[in-house]
Amino acid sequence: MSAHILLTTLALALVAGPLGCFVVWRRMAYFGDGLAHSALLGVAIGLVIGVSNQIGMMAIAIIFALSLIWLRAKRVLATDTLLGILAHAALSLGVVAMTLLGAGDIEVHDYLLGSLDAVTQDMAVWVIAGSGLSLGLLMRLWPGLILMTTSEDLAHAEGVHIVRYEFALMVLMGVVVAASIQLVGILLITSLLIIPASTARLFARSPEAMAIGGSAIASLCMLIGLPLAQNFQLATGPVIVCVSVASFMLVLMARLATRKG
Amino acid sequence: MSAELSATDYLVTVRDLTVVKQGQTILDAVSLDIAKHDFITLIGPNGAGKTVLLRHLLKLESPYGGRVHHQSGLKIGYVPQRVTIDPSLPMTVQRFLTVNNDVTRSQLDSLATETKISHLLNSPLADLSGGELQRVLLTRALAGKPNLLILDEPAQNLDVNGQLQFYTMIDEIYESRKLSVLMVSHDLHLVMSSTRKVVCLFRHICCSGAPESVARDPEFISIFGDDMAKLMAVYPHSHAHDHDHDHDHHHHAATDEES
Repeated sequence: MSAHILLTTLALALVAGPLGCFVVWRRMAYFGDGLAHSALLGVAIGLVIGVSNQIGMMAIAIIFALSLIWLRAKRVLATDTLLGILAHAALSLGVVAMTLLGAGDIEVHDYLLGSLDAVTQDMAVWVIAGSGLSLGLLMRLWPGLILMTTSEDLAHAEGVHIVRYEFALMVLMGVVVAASIQLVGILLITSLLIIPASTARLFARSPEAMAIGGSAIASLCMLIGLPLAQNFQLATGPVIVCVSVASFMLVLMARLATRKG
Repeated sequence: MSAELSATDYLVTVRDLTVVKQGQTILDAVSLDIAKHDFITLIGPNGAGKTVLLRHLLKLESPYGGRVHHQSGLKIGYVPQRVTIDPSLPMTVQRFLTVNNDVTRSQLDSLATETKISHLLNSPLADLSGGELQRVLLTRALAGKPNLLILDEPAQNLDVNGQLQFYTMIDEIYESRKLSVLMVSHDLHLVMSSTRKVVCLFRHICCSGAPESVARDPEFISIFGDDMAKLMAVYPHSHAHDHDHDHDHHHHAATDEES
């Protein structure tokens, strides 16, 4: 496997650990799915105005997060309803636009399930820079985010600006989802965030341990899954998810076994 | 020496605080002062605006009308009603007490002794009982060395024994640390049996002062009359009557079933 693919995947795995924890703690899984679905529209917009896929996807992710916050503040429809409307609107627009622009079924398929061929050196630079920045920002906001996740009331009273922190978290997710979509695919991106963090939850006793454990497990799954996908000519997303689920089951069984003993 | 305290002598000064939300008046010209070493209990029915008042005291929201002034150097420790920990978040008591603030290990140990949670520091937050959790929240509030402690119905989810213990602890901390306390309470029985200053809120401040004077206030009686009557019903002299009545009722019920 070439160096730029290896670095790209490890950078993604590192940021997936802590970010995945917030997806689990704050129940943002459906939000992540929605972001991922909207990414296809970002790709289409990128094609139309001639910027890179990543910029198109990040722009759409930020618009997506802002629309959600704005609609949610109206307090008429539940968050999951709003997500359903936004996500599927963006996905459908994306598919229609991609087809009109002449993208073939194969290209759309690659976006849905991920492909190693998509990881060019140009893209690697984008993904590594994006993951690095996200990880840095996440570490800077960490104490406030943890307090806010424990108790929003308390965080608010102690001066944490909840709306800003929540928006930052949404944008971070947008960046990471946009960065990893071509590798893991729109359909499976959320599981890359959720499964390693959930596996780490089985043994972690602090939020930090869960985040670091999540990063380590995600890295391991990438390192095992990518060569498998390459050797057997499989879509990367499903292979990585299979490996992640296997690691989750293993840790779960180990946990149950030690508890009995 | 009995000169009036000027505004700057108070830790918190609230003047004509008015809050209007969606055309509804939540608070109407509320004025309230919290002096050094005051102990104020805030009571009022549901929807009276107690939580809104607290949020303004904490300066979490900016007033629609009037103003809230904090004395310079004021440090508020806040104890929320309750904290629900999501089981997916692994968090020990010690980690919770140190997240997003800078207490040292020795400060933490002495605080934990004061609030009797030393034995809990390594326990997961999710495993604590209601009373233990409230003591942990109190500890966090004290970590910032506050001169004003604000508690929002801190004992609401505790049993009678737990409530009593928690209030006793607040009393001890109030005396030993010489700080000011503002506490929202639903527990009329406890509030009215103490000697602390009571403020009764129902969109505006209906009355305030010592419990026995508040209890005679017509506006208090119109708001809390029923609740007070229920409280009085617990006392022994009315018990005999209740018992007779119950007995009668059971007797009838039994005959009905048999026939």
